[in-house]
Amino acid sequence: MDLGDFEADNSVSCRLTSEIPDICTSEDCCLGIDEAGRGPVLGPMVYGICFCPVSRKEQLKDLKVADSKTLTEAERENLFQNISDAKDFVGWALQILSPNTISTSMLQRSKYNLNALSHDAAIGLVQYALDSGVQLKEVFVDTVGPAEKYEEKLSQCFPGLEVTVRPKADSLFPIVSAASICAKVARDHAVKGWSFTEDLGEVDTDYGSGYPGDPKTKAWLLKYQDPVFGYPQFVRFSWSTAKNLMDSKGSAVYWDDDEEDGEKAAARQNNTSMLSFCNRSTGSTAHGAAHQSHRFFTERRLQGLGAL
Amino acid sequence: MACNSSVTHVQLSTMGKAERTTVHLMPCEIEHNGSAQVSQYFTSTIKDRKQEKTVSFRGRGLRGAELSCPQGYTGLVLKEVNPNGSDQEDRTVKVSSTFDKLTYWNLETPPNSDDMVVMAMDWPELAEAIHGAVED
Repeated sequence: MDLGDFEADNSVSCRLTSEIPDICTSEDCCLGIDEAGRGPVLGPMVYGICFCPVSRKEQLKDLKVADSKTLTEAERENLFQNISDAKDFVGWALQILSPNTISTSMLQRSKYNLNALSHDAAIGLVQYALDSGVQLKEVFVDTVGPAEKYEEKLSQCFPGLEVTVRPKADSLFPIVSAASICAKVARDHAVKGWSFTEDLGEVDTDYGSGYPGDPKTKAWLLKYQDPVFGYPQFVRFSWSTAKNLMDSKGSAVYWDDDEEDGEKAAARQNNTSMLSFCNRSTGSTAHGAAHQSHRFFTERRLQGLGAL
Repeated sequence: MACNSSVTHVQLSTMGKAERTTVHLMPCEIEHNGSAQVSQYFTSTIKDRKQEKTVSFRGRGLRGAELSCPQGYTGLVLKEVNPNGSDQEDRTVKVSSTFDKLTYWNLETPPNSDDMVVMAMDWPELAEAIHGAVED
């Protein structure tokens, strides 16, 4: 699997696709959706779709695809090779959501949670298949959240499709297993070959599984933690593991959209002027209180120096 | 209430030795006073996209632009000579570095001409117009 497009800029979201098999644009097709790397605090989350003609579902089983979680990394690589070799009737597409995309989305001013992010990635991929001319009829989706709601959402987005959302769909439907293998292989490669844009010299890649509970992962987070900047962009800042470590060992950072106690915020607001540096006892000076600056100055946070 | 009558002196003689530096104006308050690994963790991850720069800080998306100091002006980074002085004493600061442009960052908002720091740069020209000597 060639991740070149993602590796060129691993701070954003990236789509990788196979060729669309001709037969998929003329025959009714089924499509499976699964994700890889939802839980880890490190690395990207990958959404994958795989599709093939409904009439060739049985042949898909011959590829011996199974739930990616029950397989070793080497087995997944082999199975991905089988999927690639079946390119005359099987196609796939992936959406790689970089850890930076996950952090900045989840920590956005108007919060964009992981479920919404996942659903949108899945919807985007199905739309891609439709736009590419794949004759979709059936869609099978694996989910960790409530299946009914998700099924309803997808059915509404794609009224012409028969959507089935099931927990553990990756072990029930071979087309979902195939999607899960594509996603997991991409996630493995992305994590293994991660190139750090930060200037950190030789980076220790012994980060364990990337799951918050793994002691190796936690040790790695501590090793590369910076009190001001936090972590490299390989880390999902929005994960509570990363947040808690910053709260206990990092410098405090305040944003204007923080939800916090009024008193604390007000105390700091008084301090935001660049000139607070020249004025140790903040607040109004004896004659400053009587004099209201013109809007021209307050809008620009400009203050007279003569008053100090 | 403290009546602040102390005076701040700028040691302009230190300006000659001061080196030019790059300055980032952040849209947040960072409770840290001292050096930081700016080039390792921050500058190296800035993406120059069309019209704007993007980066993230603490997992939050920032969008920024470069801004020049008004013509004829130089930016100064000042450092307190005696940081432990009391409120009542006069203060002395030295010029630790200088800059003629800075990069300012907005939280998620694209940089535009209404940004406070961009507008603030209007003042020198306006001040010259209203306070400058009038020639007849």
